[in-house]
Amino acid sequence: MKNRLWTFCRIAVGVIVLITFTPLVTPPGIKEPFFMGMPYTLWLGITITLLIVALTWLGTMVHPGNKD
Amino acid sequence: MGIVYVSVLFFLANRAKSVDKTSKQYLLGGSNLGALLGFFTIAATLFSTFSLLGMPDFFRVHGIGAWIFLMFSHCVMTFGLIWLGYQLHKKAKNHSWRGMAGFMGQNYGHRFAGIVAFFGVFVFLIPYISIQIRGVAIFLSASFPGVIPMWAWATILVIIMLIYSEVGGLKAIMHSDVLQGVLLLVAIWIIGYNCLNHFGGVRAMFEEVEIVNEALLSVPGPKGLFDFQFLLGSMIAISLMPYTQPQISTRLVILKNVKSLYKMAISLGIFGIIIILPTAFMGMYGAVLYPEFSTSEFLNKTYIGDQTNFVASVVMIGIIAAAISTSDSQLFALGGELRSILKGEDRKMVKYARVGIFFFALIALLFALMSSDELALLARTSFAGTALLAPMILTGIFYDHAHRIRTLPLLTLVALLIFIASLVGWLPHQVTGIRMDLALITLLSAISLLMILFDKIKNSRTQDFS
Repeated sequence: MKNRLWTFCRIAVGVIVLITFTPLVTPPGIKEPFFMGMPYTLWLGITITLLIVALTWLGTMVHPGNKD
Repeated sequence: MGIVYVSVLFFLANRAKSVDKTSKQYLLGGSNLGALLGFFTIAATLFSTFSLLGMPDFFRVHGIGAWIFLMFSHCVMTFGLIWLGYQLHKKAKNHSWRGMAGFMGQNYGHRFAGIVAFFGVFVFLIPYISIQIRGVAIFLSASFPGVIPMWAWATILVIIMLIYSEVGGLKAIMHSDVLQGVLLLVAIWIIGYNCLNHFGGVRAMFEEVEIVNEALLSVPGPKGLFDFQFLLGSMIAISLMPYTQPQISTRLVILKNVKSLYKMAISLGIFGIIIILPTAFMGMYGAVLYPEFSTSEFLNKTYIGDQTNFVASVVMIGIIAAAISTSDSQLFALGGELRSILKGEDRKMVKYARVGIFFFALIALLFALMSSDELALLARTSFAGTALLAPMILTGIFYDHAHRIRTLPLLTLVALLIFIASLVGWLPHQVTGIRMDLALITLLSAISLLMILFDKIKNSRTQDFS
């Protein structure tokens, strides 16, 4: 189970990295929709970084090195 | 306040002073780093003048894409720490680690690989150290006009760094990093809060930015800097820093155990977000109030001119702390790398490394007096340069038969020279529309993978025949 979760973490971060470089996260010249007053790429960028930190935390729980 | 700060630094250096000037004690701080100290020292080493002075200016001039440029890349790096960083930590612990250059020499089975690794970090870390020194020196010079010239500020900083790091070794640097990290955090949030408060909130801030320069609210920004290639190249270079920049690799390796590594990685991710967020507020503040100012004018107004005297003093100490904590670690790491490729009696080699640190500091000081003021861009060039070592280093770490693919260090050296030639204008900055750094690292990575693949095929055939 832990190994599967570790694989999930790696795939999830990989997918996040890929979509960050697509117009889904970094659309040229697009500032809307705003969220809490922040332009689109900024609030989504902050959300993504928080998500990666959460995946890092999960990763430390399920990483195979835990056995060492 | 400045005198108190410098006194505390020297006190910490004296406390950490070790009479045992061996590689393990002096250059590697005893190789028993806990999670908390590990987190503070890596954070203080990573977040430097580049973060405190460069990032607000990056947000001001190029807009919110700066978040993706640095914070997204930083978080990818922290995830990488528990994946690739764990492997480096585990493998290096089983070897007699002295530095990445020496480690490469061991893994590739010849010193040339170590020399290439040392050459790469030397050439690209010196400019990085220089911009830390220059950043603070121009800032202090602008804050105290007519007191002493910029070069004198730079020299004083280098002397302070040299004294306490030469006296106390890596342990002194790491202990002072705790102080520097806290100072950096306090300074950055006081100014960030004041900048945000000026507008009355996030919404009002971005509404005003929209009126002044709408292009700052999206990528690629008003000057088109944050395009796909720049962001991708930056992410690759920054996420590889723990393996390509020795001041971070060494700290990773000397962590006490894997649990410390895990805790450090999570804390580092959170710390990065907390430290960079207020620089966005400062940048937006500058974009509205001082859009036409030069970098130093904007920083001086935002950090000093618009603050009370007490806040300005705290901030100034925070900025000096940020610069010193990164530069001393980098200078020391260069000394450690030099030691790792030298062969001979340990204490004697450590002596040579200490002399080396002095000369590296001198070169960095000279470079600081000549370099440009574009701190963030120069830092990025340094990241991109050292990132070219990544395919060779990662192959050396992860491929158990790296000694069979001896041409990779040579190709890495060629790539470094091509990149340097493109930076000084002897070669174009792009190849068929692709940025030179991105093209070179892609090519080197592909070659490394192919070499490993061919080596595996060749070896399995040899085994079949025998």
